[in-house]
Amino acid sequence: MERENTIEFAEGTENIADSEAVFPEMETAEATALDGPVPVKPKKRKRMDAEEIYGTFLAAIPLIGFLIFGFVPLILAFFMAFLDMGYGWNIADGEWVGFDNFVFLFTTAKEEVGISIFEAIGNTLLLGISTFISQILALAVSYLLSRDIRGRGIWRIIYFIPYVCSTVAITLMWKYMFDPSYGIINQIIGNTDIMNGAIEWTTDPTVFYVTINIISIWSGMGYGILLYSAALTNINQSSLEAAEIDGAGSFTKFFRIVLPSISPTTFYLLIMGVIGMLQSFTITNVFDKGGGPDFHGVTIVFFMFQYLYEWENVGVASAAAWVLTLLILLVTVIQFFGSRRWVKYD
Amino acid sequence: MIDDRPSGATPANEADVLTVPANEADVLTAPPAEKKTKTMHSGKRAKLISKIVIYTILVFYAFIIIFPFLVVILTSLKTWQDARASTFSWIPPMGYTFEAYKEVFTYMAGSDMVLPSIVNGFFNTLMYVLPPTILGLFTSAISAYAFSKLRFRAKKWMYTLLLGTMMVPGTIMIVPQYVIYDMIGWTHTPLPLIIPGMFGAAACVFFMRQFYTGIPDSLVEAAKLDGLGYLGIFFRIMVPLAVPALLAQGLLGFIGGYNDFLGPLLYLDSDKLSTLQIALTNMAGTYSKRPNVVMAASLIALLPMLIVYFFTQRYFISGIVSSGLKE
Repeated sequence: MERENTIEFAEGTENIADSEAVFPEMETAEATALDGPVPVKPKKRKRMDAEEIYGTFLAAIPLIGFLIFGFVPLILAFFMAFLDMGYGWNIADGEWVGFDNFVFLFTTAKEEVGISIFEAIGNTLLLGISTFISQILALAVSYLLSRDIRGRGIWRIIYFIPYVCSTVAITLMWKYMFDPSYGIINQIIGNTDIMNGAIEWTTDPTVFYVTINIISIWSGMGYGILLYSAALTNINQSSLEAAEIDGAGSFTKFFRIVLPSISPTTFYLLIMGVIGMLQSFTITNVFDKGGGPDFHGVTIVFFMFQYLYEWENVGVASAAAWVLTLLILLVTVIQFFGSRRWVKYD
Repeated sequence: MIDDRPSGATPANEADVLTVPANEADVLTAPPAEKKTKTMHSGKRAKLISKIVIYTILVFYAFIIIFPFLVVILTSLKTWQDARASTFSWIPPMGYTFEAYKEVFTYMAGSDMVLPSIVNGFFNTLMYVLPPTILGLFTSAISAYAFSKLRFRAKKWMYTLLLGTMMVPGTIMIVPQYVIYDMIGWTHTPLPLIIPGMFGAAACVFFMRQFYTGIPDSLVEAAKLDGLGYLGIFFRIMVPLAVPALLAQGLLGFIGGYNDFLGPLLYLDSDKLSTLQIALTNMAGTYSKRPNVVMAASLIALLPMLIVYFFTQRYFISGIVSSGLKE
């Protein structure tokens, strides 16, 4: 294709001239192009040629979107946590109250609505244990899939199903199965000798954590399996074979070669998983709008949502958002520093 | 990334070999002394056993994935009495019935509604999700094209800035966004769900740029010589070349929008404007005593996405894998 163009060089120049009619705003670029012999890669360019303008503008579209719908709110978020806006949405009504909203989060909230931000953080972490379990299980399953297995594609398609399903529908489905009185899970497990009688999956505050974690693991593993499978197929086979010749067993191979090779994927999944986990909301909200037994389903975002939407206390909601942000930042920074010890890039 | 030890075994390696058996099956079949001189027979048997174990685990996990869907389908075909029976029945005593589906497709949450809540929700979802997905895909791609194929001075810092926006967790902005949308009268309308997405997404730009960088620059230069303008190059060359990648990203965007819960929950409080997911939670509240109806509604909400997934899973999977594997 390239050669064709060099042959039809003269014709090409004409076409450029023609195109001026179509794109009149490109005049400057065309003018420079026609001045001398047509430069394929102009070394010295005018201050503002068409490429500069097009490039800057086209590339800027998503940034403009962020500026309007992201940056402005970010700046606002900074201030709103220090305002008491009464029970309304108007910033102009806001009154500067310093750190009152933060004090409220950690102390008064407990008396007023039964849960402080401390407990919301604790709930978020306890409900988020699934992040780590599902990652380990995902690695195990994809390691099995990476063996000499028939129908690898079909297994993967099945395991990925929960990812495409709506969290709302999945939560309703599991809620029905977990129902203590007529749910099928109690009928399977409850009838065994170990678990004598019904388990209060939805009403016991402690068991509730387990219930939600099971749902999260079930729906969260598919993503990890997919990424781990891709990473495992990229492992250098010759180093595995070399290890085998050296007499390395499966365990040695796995821990000494496979695990370090896929450590970037592990790191990526961990970072994304933890960030997502800290922002969890949907499952517990759909499961019980009221927050679950003893408010154990109230995560940080749930807490924030409740103050923003139900109680219309924007200041406190903003302060909660601040706490969440700092938490995410802290955890991410720790993970990045920690990763230097164990993540091995090529 | 790859273990860079020399292939000759070091003493440490040998120690490993002696302490760690090749796999569990070996331990069972061969005494420790014979470990290094495995007979053909025991090797085959070990392989067979490990194969059986692997397939058992894979089948069991697949069963755990599929099983809840079977329960949902079955329950949706029961009467509510059977669905709430204290023993789960595979063949319901009162027989299979479509009454739950009849209920789902006749239930209207508000008196001002023309369509059943769930159908109304489905069309609303399409209306809110398709425009930002398609337009956002387009703006992301054109921005990625500029970042990868055009030269302009601000490129470097603009790209860094764009990647930086990806680091900002979305939940931080929920509160101020709500306040701003309220100021300009966008709350109680679907606009907050539609408009911002039209500007494209940083993650999508990142992915598409990755893709476009792989396309040789000479192709673009040739097109330039043929008289194509910068937009012409994008539409005539960059879009057709990227159809599979665009499809993958579009599907991911669509699934995210379709399953979104917090956004519509915040901004849409009338039944008429509700999305499918919100309509579903509302029905779950109304029919909390009739799980057969809730299960039927859930299944109907799941089905469109499942169908899309089964027909496009190749694009889906490639999209996810390539956006997850950052080089």
